[in-house]
Amino acid sequence: MKVESTFKIKKGLAEMLKGGVIMDVVNAEQALIAEKSGAAAVMALERVPADIRVEGGVARMSSVETLEEIMSTVSVPVMAKSRIGHFVEAQMLEELGIDFIDESEVLTPADDKNHINKHDIKTPFVNGATNIGEACRRIGEGAAMIRTKGEAGTGNVIEAVKHMRSMTEGINRIISSDKNQLMSLAKEYSAPFSVLEDIKKEGKLPVVNFAAGGIATPADAALMMQLGCDGVFVGSGIFKSGDPADRAEAIVIATTNFDNPSKLVEVSKNLGEAMVGLNIDDLDESEKLAKRGW
Amino acid sequence: MATGILALQGSFNDHRKSLELLDKEYVLIKDNGDLKNIDSLILPGGESTSMIKIQEESELFDSLKKLINDGIPTLGTCAGLILLAKDVLDGSVSLGLLDCVVERNAYGRQNESFEGLVKFNNNSQMYCFIRAPKIISARHNVKNVAQLDDEIVGIQENNIVGLCFHPELTNDENYLNWLNNFIVEGNNVRSF
Repeated sequence: MKVESTFKIKKGLAEMLKGGVIMDVVNAEQALIAEKSGAAAVMALERVPADIRVEGGVARMSSVETLEEIMSTVSVPVMAKSRIGHFVEAQMLEELGIDFIDESEVLTPADDKNHINKHDIKTPFVNGATNIGEACRRIGEGAAMIRTKGEAGTGNVIEAVKHMRSMTEGINRIISSDKNQLMSLAKEYSAPFSVLEDIKKEGKLPVVNFAAGGIATPADAALMMQLGCDGVFVGSGIFKSGDPADRAEAIVIATTNFDNPSKLVEVSKNLGEAMVGLNIDDLDESEKLAKRGW
Repeated sequence: MATGILALQGSFNDHRKSLELLDKEYVLIKDNGDLKNIDSLILPGGESTSMIKIQEESELFDSLKKLINDGIPTLGTCAGLILLAKDVLDGSVSLGLLDCVVERNAYGRQNESFEGLVKFNNNSQMYCFIRAPKIISARHNVKNVAQLDDEIVGIQENNIVGLCFHPELTNDENYLNWLNNFIVEGNNVRSF
């Protein structure tokens, strides 16, 4: 007897990615470099966030040909981004057999109010969140994995740190509250009550929680792991750096050995130029991707 | 003495939970220095290509191979089975210890992942198969320990057990009993 696409199976793939690095790639060639460097999965998107910032325009799901080429090139799981609320892009990614869908604020949103109802799609979803309420709302809609939003394409880790700390604070507050306080917390966070119950029962988010948005160095990855993330996404940080293959490998090893400073020093040698960073304060409010979604 | 859990990438914390439930000491293994006082070993689920890459420079796999050849009880789940197998169909690197041929992602991609009713340890229980490998063939010295319908999804050769599924995601009583018997007591598991 077999049952496909249960929530346990959706969540299960995320469990297998833990302790790993998921790398943004825009074509099969980059996907192969990522896989050879030890990526636990690759994330296909039309353009990396740093380029979306510079070039502007509408950022959409990758082309079907690119996705098919990436899927036939690597053996690790292939994730792909859909626009927030664009359930047809998600249906197409499901049809293509993509392993995980990222309903991502990095692409231009397709709906200003609603996220996708993720229960209706067989393929598991990962969603970004800036705080516990947002994470709970996405889980309520069916997300099988959460990541911090951070501020993608900046090479600046401060927002990811802020989001992770905020989520941890929220989780601790839920755990330490008594059952009588849960509904009032659900109201405060605008979050589904049942997800709060799950957090209280399990003592953590009911799904895997990765860091994303602004991670550019092995030290950034290790910082996020020490803050309690289950793994990391690296976007522009790899293919916008001087030596993508070496940097990718160093970030992978740093993620495994996040609590071992001597290993971190060793892998951080001779990596060439990191991507150029942006100060968050220099960004116009309209340029902040983390503000997309709610 | 402790059970070593390979902790390069993957579901090693779920395996840690299994051992905590059994009150068995454990060590997370990231390099050769972590291999002292190990009396048994678990290779977790995850991405085998990623694990192979991470240990490459430390040559951790050579040390693991020696330990397993010395006869300590060793369990591999999913990617762990791939690492233990003598042959992997796509030519992937492995430790080459368990006399079988496995095929990676043989059931298909994530949309084809499933929960399946497995006969394991004389009980039937639902277990998770996630982009799971298949055991294509095994030599006569290898015995079957788990079955899904007509398919063999778990095998044992002496001290080595490889499972296609993820008992660490359920940590059910049936699995924990088996694990206690195999890893803690060091007894052989029963065949069908």
